[in-house]
Amino acid sequence: MESKDSKTMPPTLVSRRGFLNQQAMGVGSLALAWLLQQEDAAAAPKGELKEPPTFDLTPKRPHFAPRAKAMISLFQHGGPSHMDLTDPKPELTKYDGTEYSGKVGYSFVNEASKKLMGTRWKFAPHGQCGTELSELLPETADIVDDICLIRSMHTGANGHEVSIRYFHGGIPGVLGRAHMASWMLYALGSETQDLPAYMVLTDPGGHPVDGVNNWSSGFMPALYQGTVLRPQEPRILNLDPPPHLRGEPQRQNLEFLQTLNREHAKRFPGENDLQARIASYELAARMQTSAREALDISQESKATHSLYGLDDDATREYGTRCLIARRLVERGVRFVQLFLNGQPWDNHSNLGTSLPSICRRTDKPSAALVKDLKQRGMLDEVLVHWGGEIGRLPVTQNQGAPEKHGRDHNGQGFSIWLAGGGVKPGMTFGATDEFGHRAVENVVTPNDYQATLLHLFGLDSNELAFQHNGQKQSLTAGRPARVVSEILS
Amino acid sequence: MMMRASTHFALILCVKIFCVNATVPLFAADLTYEQHIRPIFRAHCFDCHGATEDMEGGLDLRQVRLMRKGGDSGSAIVANRPEDSYLVERIRSGEMPPGDHRISSEEIETISRWIAAGAKTARAESETIGSGLGITPEERDFWSFRPIRRPLVREIDSFPPEARVRTPIDALLQTKFDGAAGEFDVTVSPDADRRTLILRAHFDLIGLPPTRESTQRWIDEKADDWYDRMLSELLDSPHYGERWARHWLDVAGYADSEGYTVTDAERSWAWRYRDWVIASLNRGKPFDQFLIEQLAGDELAGPRTGDLTAEQIDLLTATGFLRMAADGTGSGANHAEGRNQVIVDTLKIVGTSLFGLSLQCAQCHDHRYDPIPQSDYYAIRAVFEPALDWQAWQVPNARRVSLSTAEDREKSAAIEAEAKTIAAAKAEKLAAYMKQALDEEMTKYEEPLRAQLRQAYETVSDKRTEDQKELLAKNPSVNITPGNLYQYIPESKPKLAEFDKQIGEVRTKKPAESFVRALVEPAGHAPETKLFHRGDHRQPKQTVRPAALAVAAPEGKRVEFALNDSSLATTGRRLALARWMTGRENPMLARVIVNRVWMHHFGKGLVATPSDFGKLGARPTHPELLDWLADEFMSTGWNLKRLHRLIMTSTAWRARSDVNSPFRSLRRLEAETIRDRMLHVAGVLDESLFGPPLKIKEDDTGQIIVDGEQSRRSLYVQARRSRPVGMMQSFDAPVMETNCESRSNSTVATQSLMLLNGEFILSCAAKFAERTAEQPPSLTADRLAPLPDLPKTGSPWQYGFGSFDESKNRTDTFTALPHWTGTQWQGSEGLPDGKLGWALLHATGGHPDGAERSVIRRWTATSDGVLTIEGKLSHGSAAGDGVRGRIVSSGTGKLGEWTAHNGSAPTTITGIEVKSGDTVDFLTDCRGSVTSDSFTWPVQLKCSGQRQQTISSVQHFSGPPDSVEEIPGRIVRAWQLAYCREPSDNELLLGVRYIADQIVELGANPQAVPAGRTAVSQAMTNLCQTLLSSNEFLYVE
Repeated sequence: MESKDSKTMPPTLVSRRGFLNQQAMGVGSLALAWLLQQEDAAAAPKGELKEPPTFDLTPKRPHFAPRAKAMISLFQHGGPSHMDLTDPKPELTKYDGTEYSGKVGYSFVNEASKKLMGTRWKFAPHGQCGTELSELLPETADIVDDICLIRSMHTGANGHEVSIRYFHGGIPGVLGRAHMASWMLYALGSETQDLPAYMVLTDPGGHPVDGVNNWSSGFMPALYQGTVLRPQEPRILNLDPPPHLRGEPQRQNLEFLQTLNREHAKRFPGENDLQARIASYELAARMQTSAREALDISQESKATHSLYGLDDDATREYGTRCLIARRLVERGVRFVQLFLNGQPWDNHSNLGTSLPSICRRTDKPSAALVKDLKQRGMLDEVLVHWGGEIGRLPVTQNQGAPEKHGRDHNGQGFSIWLAGGGVKPGMTFGATDEFGHRAVENVVTPNDYQATLLHLFGLDSNELAFQHNGQKQSLTAGRPARVVSEILS
Repeated sequence: MMMRASTHFALILCVKIFCVNATVPLFAADLTYEQHIRPIFRAHCFDCHGATEDMEGGLDLRQVRLMRKGGDSGSAIVANRPEDSYLVERIRSGEMPPGDHRISSEEIETISRWIAAGAKTARAESETIGSGLGITPEERDFWSFRPIRRPLVREIDSFPPEARVRTPIDALLQTKFDGAAGEFDVTVSPDADRRTLILRAHFDLIGLPPTRESTQRWIDEKADDWYDRMLSELLDSPHYGERWARHWLDVAGYADSEGYTVTDAERSWAWRYRDWVIASLNRGKPFDQFLIEQLAGDELAGPRTGDLTAEQIDLLTATGFLRMAADGTGSGANHAEGRNQVIVDTLKIVGTSLFGLSLQCAQCHDHRYDPIPQSDYYAIRAVFEPALDWQAWQVPNARRVSLSTAEDREKSAAIEAEAKTIAAAKAEKLAAYMKQALDEEMTKYEEPLRAQLRQAYETVSDKRTEDQKELLAKNPSVNITPGNLYQYIPESKPKLAEFDKQIGEVRTKKPAESFVRALVEPAGHAPETKLFHRGDHRQPKQTVRPAALAVAAPEGKRVEFALNDSSLATTGRRLALARWMTGRENPMLARVIVNRVWMHHFGKGLVATPSDFGKLGARPTHPELLDWLADEFMSTGWNLKRLHRLIMTSTAWRARSDVNSPFRSLRRLEAETIRDRMLHVAGVLDESLFGPPLKIKEDDTGQIIVDGEQSRRSLYVQARRSRPVGMMQSFDAPVMETNCESRSNSTVATQSLMLLNGEFILSCAAKFAERTAEQPPSLTADRLAPLPDLPKTGSPWQYGFGSFDESKNRTDTFTALPHWTGTQWQGSEGLPDGKLGWALLHATGGHPDGAERSVIRRWTATSDGVLTIEGKLSHGSAAGDGVRGRIVSSGTGKLGEWTAHNGSAPTTITGIEVKSGDTVDFLTDCRGSVTSDSFTWPVQLKCSGQRQQTISSVQHFSGPPDSVEEIPGRIVRAWQLAYCREPSDNELLLGVRYIADQIVELGANPQAVPAGRTAVSQAMTNLCQTLLSSNEFLYVE
């Protein structure tokens, strides 16, 4: 397969380089070059890499035909309580208040108890598939035929950071690794020339637990790291010129700059680096308008606004970000991840009030995103993920009065859902034990999840490699990682 | 960006194909177990079938005879019959290896062809075999493990002149080693021009551009040896050490924080190690010595007896190298895992920087590709274990070495004694006050209650009886304490505070204690090192003794280090390792170092993977040259400065940049150099050396920036792992995880946004622009002749005096006020002026003089539109008769008239149509009397037309228009400062045209001119920013 590439690539390459060398690169020829590039894109990196490469975001061919082109991850920091939301456990309800005989790992030992705590919310089957969901997620219930609910997630560790890093970087607890989105960018490049390909939408309330590590490119170059779309202005750092440069003055500056750059590049024929930097200024200039346009939700219809809950104080903020996420992938952004501030799903106490409150904030916007993508015909190629890094224990975290009770961390078993992008809709996969403590059937680890995601993007997680400090790195770090083929459509 | 990609990936593909062709022979008969099959097994199979004594399924793949014999399932291979070989079947079916890793189809094909051709071995296999994988002659014969051999260099004179061979480097580059003897290649680019060489040499050696004067000096030098003298000067510069320290700090993993945990605690004293590196390089310390001190400085320093000597401090500081790894044990991770991680990271730093091998890959099992058994990894670990003992751990702060001297301590003690005397005096005074307060309080009570109360009060609180407690509770005012004493005797508070103040003052005289971040091995501590099964410290296995890598010595001659060197207080293991490492027998170190130096001079090493000289790394493009340089480096005393000179005097280094040349292609400056160069050009770079790191902070957009106006070199900016400075990170400065073996080089839009809009570049550009105005060169008439005329002024405002003609309903005369003080316009330097008296105008208002000398603020419209004027005329004195203000348009006459006397009047007018070129005057006259006529009259003009404008008379108040005559000279100066060269005629023309456009634009668009600037100064600022963000500035040449 590689020899085939090498036979077809060099001639086009030579001719294109020749062409570009002769041209002073204007915007027009740049666009042309981009198109040429799209046609015979280079292949995604694979196997062992010997040369220290230079890095870029040009589109690259995946290893095989992809199902998904973009992904939106609605990350639910803290550990959503699966037995109260997505994983009905009649046995747990039946034995409510009795002693649990299994072994439990606690994070908060001082408040630990072994008393089982059944859910206080009602579950009912929904949709054609009949998947049971809790009354706390009425809107998710509405899209149940479009999602694949995985009830057997397992990180094996109860800590937040440990499991978050596992989900994003491939190894539990280890910092300094590249986020899986960085891997996608490294492998596939960007579909847009106007926007950063990996964007992170943070919460106005602040960063999530583990801060900027959540979108780090780790050992990969900075160009693969997430660009934070800040919840308030300036949404993108340095995007806006200072007031005195806005408009014509900066346009004149750029024109003068590019003239100097083109004159300089003439002295070094064939230096692609110089051409790339000229192009990157053009991208920066385009971003100044395109990013603004992408963020302008006033262009959306009233119906769309109300679909995402923008007319309701409880859902407006999260709904706005879900809507922006859709607008970004619509414009070719590869990966968008939404975070919440702190850990709103970390319901150690007052489960009865804290859980409904975060559900209220996120349920409608999350479901709206899937509905909206579907009605626009985008769901086929856009993968949506909803889920946290852990779940919660079936036993009570004792906070004194019963209404103050909550649940402690549980990395042994919990739920997430996926929709679109080649994932089978209207199904549930895997199961936890009768009390919801441990995943026991079709266990899915974050590494399996990563291998499956890469597979949907046409990438083989065993083959996708990055050379770092003389070592071959991969997203799943050589740990067992299985493509969960049962959930692929 | 885009073009680069395809060439790059095409390159990889070619390399891969080349490798396959090169390593797998065309004819199956040439395949041997040792050369072609064993590496595959090593990567995929030996973990279970060879490396340890437990052979899965009884199958041992280390020898062909053992494969034939097979395991529990019978023979693994049948020679000549791959289709009948169980091994092939198991691999092909995907059952082996277990798990998700697969042997590639090419590799399976190789195994199959090898079996089909008879499963040959390179030599007869021994009848017995010990445990472990051992190292085969093939593995030992890998290029980087072979001894360094100095190749014969053809006489320089034997090359024809067109080969331009200047140095042995050139001779070696042009000698064909694989061709017939005496053949050579002449593919030499011409030398770069002198200015380029000057620039390159400066960036390569000191990381700063040459000053304008030094560029000129070296360009004008007539003597032939100018180049050598320039190199000498740069090598002697103190900035040389800063530049090359940065390279070393990358591999050493320098950081000013501990990392590992979310806390990322600050590392207060790491900077001394950074300074040690700078000073050592500047001093020209032989590189072997430089390394020995870093590995074993504490062992060389010997035990501490009394005060540390300067030499001891220096040696201890050097060991900071071994304290660069992230260390979370002082910030929440002081557990077995956290401690072992520090050791693992330290070994990784040592491995990648000094061995040029991925030593860390042998931590859990034998190295999959290189002949490094797991036991070798632990043999190296054993060298460090006495100082880094996870079972007798010291957290970072406990490892610091205090620099306090006996004298310091004595002085501190004396000062403390003095403080104690004052404290005693205070206590005495307090007791006296307390007694006084109590006595006074007691007078309020009668006996016997008085005596009872006194007794209860004077009894220590926990000895009081219930009755006494009750008594005191009933009479709360008796409960006098030092805290409420002031309520009884108010003056007691300041009096007592006076003592505290004195104590505080005395204590500030104590000498401040400072520290060195060092690794110091405790005396007499020699813990055993265990091999950890699968790298897991909870599964310790056999004890391993300290030793060098087995592969680095001939078979059977492995270098072992003494467990304990009795001549030293410490075990001496690290000193032994350091001496072996820098010795002639070690084939690795010198190659690794010269390759790094080469890489920093050429952008790419002779071995493209500077930290991996193993099987997965790249092969040297010029092995003979690499060996010659390594040998030469060692033979001449590990003299780094000499090595620089050797490289930089070569024709290869001096060649013109050429994309097709394997050596010299254009290079972008590193992040630090970009920042330093901007500060340098802005004229604000603080060139002082050494010291604690510059503080950083988060700005209001969440970006990490250097705090305040700190303009020292970037090397000194605090390197906090969790808080990378935005600008530096964006340009690929490493964010230390462990260490950085070579930097990536990205080109991304966020860099461009930063250069277009970032605050740092904007402030540098402003200073740079100011610098261009300092004595700009005057240009010759023929240089000026082709340049277009520049617009005269950028400001729409003029400041003058005159009068209003009632009959014409127009301003009668307008004469500009002749003198500018820097803040206001008036008649002459002193007031009142002989002719114009008190007439003056400043940003917010002014003062009129008598008749015919009303002051006039005149605005000229730059486009047609409708104008709204809002303002307030104020007069602030009861004396005199106030002032009168009129607004008069040249098109339609008087628009309004107001008076103000010790009060104010709003001056709002709407809907005035103006045409381009119309003037609007704001006349203020004195009414009858000239006394006390100071007024303010700020106005804001909103003009809607083709272009929406808001113009403020205050914000856009301006002095005399900048002289445009100097602009061509300033542009030339800008070029000289930014690019170290003169602009070409065409560039000068481009620059002048650009400024002309800007002046017009900025004149018509006052928002584009920030307060305090004029159209001309802003236009020049924009030009300077453009130069700072241009490719010529961001690249070496």
